[in-house]
Amino acid sequence: MEYLAQDKRTVFLGQAVAVAGTGMSNTLKDISKNKLIELPVAEEMQMGMSLGMALNGKIPISVYPRWNFLLCAVSQLVNHVDKVPLMSKYKANVIIRTSIGSERPLHPQCQHIGDFTDAFRMMCKTIEIIRLDEPEDIFPAYEKALLRDDNRSTILVEWGDYYNEK
Amino acid sequence: MTKQDLIDFETRIADYFNTGKIQAPVHLYYGNEDEIIQIFKTVRPQDWVFCSWRSHYQCLLKGVPSEEVEKEILEGRSISLCFPEYKIYSSAIVGGVLSIAVGTAMSVKRNKEDSFVYCFLGDMTSETGIAHESIKYSTQHNLPIRFIIEDNCKSVCTDTREVWNDNRLTYEGFNNDIIYYYKYDTKYPHAGAGMRVQF
Repeated sequence: MEYLAQDKRTVFLGQAVAVAGTGMSNTLKDISKNKLIELPVAEEMQMGMSLGMALNGKIPISVYPRWNFLLCAVSQLVNHVDKVPLMSKYKANVIIRTSIGSERPLHPQCQHIGDFTDAFRMMCKTIEIIRLDEPEDIFPAYEKALLRDDNRSTILVEWGDYYNEK
Repeated sequence: MTKQDLIDFETRIADYFNTGKIQAPVHLYYGNEDEIIQIFKTVRPQDWVFCSWRSHYQCLLKGVPSEEVEKEILEGRSISLCFPEYKIYSSAIVGGVLSIAVGTAMSVKRNKEDSFVYCFLGDMTSETGIAHESIKYSTQHNLPIRFIIEDNCKSVCTDTREVWNDNRLTYEGFNNDIIYYYKYDTKYPHAGAGMRVQF
């Protein structure tokens, strides 16, 4: 995340990005506060705001701590972020960060551990969806998402359990 | 671009549609020319305009050459007209542009740009949850954005007030820094130009 933050175009937004609250919060604790935009729980609005900032030249890293939460933003994701390159000449790069929810040491049950990677690969025509199965996958994937100039956005899928285990 | 210019443009598009020259849905304006011309008196080239599926007037008044708008419509893109060089973004999804406009306004504010965001929405959209969130967030964060609610008393063929069982819309009559509401009567149906094509 520090690498992403070095780029002046980036900004991180979502719930628990500027305060503690999720496993992802810990990965942002060393990021400058002026890069972190704490948002209300409003997943659909968050995704739209991410795209709106991207239209104006920002590269938002939009944080959804679990796939199940990202489901609440599907319309903006599929109808807008994914379709902007197809329906216009706008350039927009949105980096969406999500995860397959952790099951250990607490199992949060079925509404928090979904992995919808394959389903979203079928639903999206331009967004690249990368599941980060190993630690060594992480940096190259985020680097690619940041530097890509093919007018595609990226969903990066982390594993919640790996924050403690790998 | 005068009132008559706007009406003539939509009349031409209506003729194209009714004679089958446009093989895609169109959503036409009529009856709001005075209001929208007044709104655009303060819109500058560096400002952003976000629209719904009904956006021909906004494109013309923002400065997109009518030939260019017409070309896009003839190619079937009436319901999602986007012109990055004129900072216009339109969407055919109800409420779709609202939060996008909020994000752009936030970006404008963070960058300290001399720019403003205008976001157009209809009466049914103004009652949605995403409208509530977007308007509240913009108001509370003092973002450089104004929502223009255009009430034509219909959503496709549904009466907005009837289905909400409420004779008065949430933002009806508002005219402040963040919201401008106006009502108009149109001669056109929700989609098309009178020759019914179900899609």
